[in-house]
Amino acid sequence: MTLRRARTLTGIYFTAMTVAVMWPGMVSVARIEPYVLGLPFGFFWNGAWIAVAVGVLYGLDRVERRYRTPSAPDSMGGGDGDAT
Amino acid sequence: MERWVVVTGIIAVYLVVTLAIGLLAGRRATDSVAGFVAGDRSFGLLVMYFVTGATVFSSFAFLGGPGWAYSRGAAAFYILAYGVLGMTPFYWMGPRIAHLGRRFGYVTQAQLLVGRFPSRGLSGLVAILSLVAFVPYVTIQMKGAGIVIEAVTDGHVPLWLGALVAYGIVIVYVLASGVMAVGWTNTFQGIFMVTIAWTLGLYLPYKLYGGVGPMFEKIAAVRPELLVPPGLDSAGNAWPWGSYTTFILVSAVGLMMWPHLFMKAFAAKDDDTLRRTVILFPTFQLFLIPVFLIGFSGVLFPEVPPDPDFILPFMILRTDLPALVVGLFCAGALSASMSTGDALLHAAASVVVEDGVTPFKALSDGHQQFLMRGVVLAVGGVAYWAAVGGGSSLVALLATAYGIIAQLAPPIVAALYWKRATTAGVISGLLAGWITAGLFYYEVVARPLGMHEGILGLLVHVPVLVLVSLATRPQEKAHLDRWFAS
Repeated sequence: MTLRRARTLTGIYFTAMTVAVMWPGMVSVARIEPYVLGLPFGFFWNGAWIAVAVGVLYGLDRVERRYRTPSAPDSMGGGDGDAT
Repeated sequence: MERWVVVTGIIAVYLVVTLAIGLLAGRRATDSVAGFVAGDRSFGLLVMYFVTGATVFSSFAFLGGPGWAYSRGAAAFYILAYGVLGMTPFYWMGPRIAHLGRRFGYVTQAQLLVGRFPSRGLSGLVAILSLVAFVPYVTIQMKGAGIVIEAVTDGHVPLWLGALVAYGIVIVYVLASGVMAVGWTNTFQGIFMVTIAWTLGLYLPYKLYGGVGPMFEKIAAVRPELLVPPGLDSAGNAWPWGSYTTFILVSAVGLMMWPHLFMKAFAAKDDDTLRRTVILFPTFQLFLIPVFLIGFSGVLFPEVPPDPDFILPFMILRTDLPALVVGLFCAGALSASMSTGDALLHAAASVVVEDGVTPFKALSDGHQQFLMRGVVLAVGGVAYWAAVGGGSSLVALLATAYGIIAQLAPPIVAALYWKRATTAGVISGLLAGWITAGLFYYEVVARPLGMHEGILGLLVHVPVLVLVSLATRPQEKAHLDRWFAS
């Protein structure tokens, strides 16, 4: 995946999440049933967006690391491999 | 042996271990302002992860979170929603901030702002308002610690003594070791509070209702309104969507603008550490789920606590848990309080001295450190007085602290990304934002749709920043080239 694409997809996910966890996105899921993992649906909905966010951020980081200048090893505090 | 003695013993062991970690940590830092404030920029991933998590989640999360779930139901979910949204932009902003810090020697947020927008007035303004937001926040943490200790020791250790001992220890290790102590004690406290939250959060619903699912089914049968977002307000009426939504927004915008969190970008060892901290943060945040489960498990509890925020200690004491568990819970609650309180005290001192004093009067490195330690004591003293004595009007200020802090976001974003922004634009924007938020907070003007005053402030702030910047002379090219060169 290209860097541009990974960033766009991440942007889309977090924009969707911003809408989904508040008004107006949350209105349609503001209900108790169905229960998922024992949690009322509205509760599960919030938790699920966070859990998936971990995966999205991890995926983004894998792509970002590939595109960063290879001359910035972790242990060297001064290495500014920031391409942005 | 009596129960309260065992509990007190466990708390004492916890406090001694914390103190030892705090004091030992300082031996790794140099005796300089950069060492005291930014830990010589040496924090690795483990420490950054727990510093960030344990600092974000305070007494408010550990005691207030269950309190909200218990009394206001689904309204508590707003706390769950904002953390990740607020943290993610730091994946890109964090390394940029750290880079500028290394290049120009910044250790505070206002230094970064003033580096881009030269103005001593701006520095002083940020320092004063940060302090206004900090003091009630520290007060709440101290009060939280005192209340928990008093409750679980059956009043044998009163609030004033519990808060004094817990925060006496915090002050000793912050004075001795600066941010290194904050980092390593938070690592210990972070592990502690997450473990306790997950254990109790799954155990209490199981013990009282036979599981998480059965618990919610019973609540749904009796009080369904608690389980449907956006939940209830503090009076028990339906909470408007406008409030729920703007609470999430203002908290997301404000989260990383808190100086005690922002400054940790200067303490990270390298950019990758910062990025991974952001990526892993949601895993820490999920600990709010068991915290809410604890609150919900109290809904059908026959007795009613004196205040919703005490639901956790209240239930712990009435469900026949072994003294060991009660003691560990108490240590978890103290961890939540102290890991935020220490970062706040440390940041308050750094901000007051670096941003409020040194721009106006040159001080040697040694004098700055001396003064910072004085400020730690002063802020701690004022907060203690407010926590133990009256000072409830001070506590009421906390409600608006996020409104104040969120106004720091537009200038920071402008400093990092918008070349056309000017000093006049940033200062007018900040003043406009703060004044607007203040007017709505004190209800000089009624809030539309129950919106949070911080968001209303931002709605005025951003256009003012943009328009005044465009109306004033752009910054010199040489200055911008130096700033944006990477």
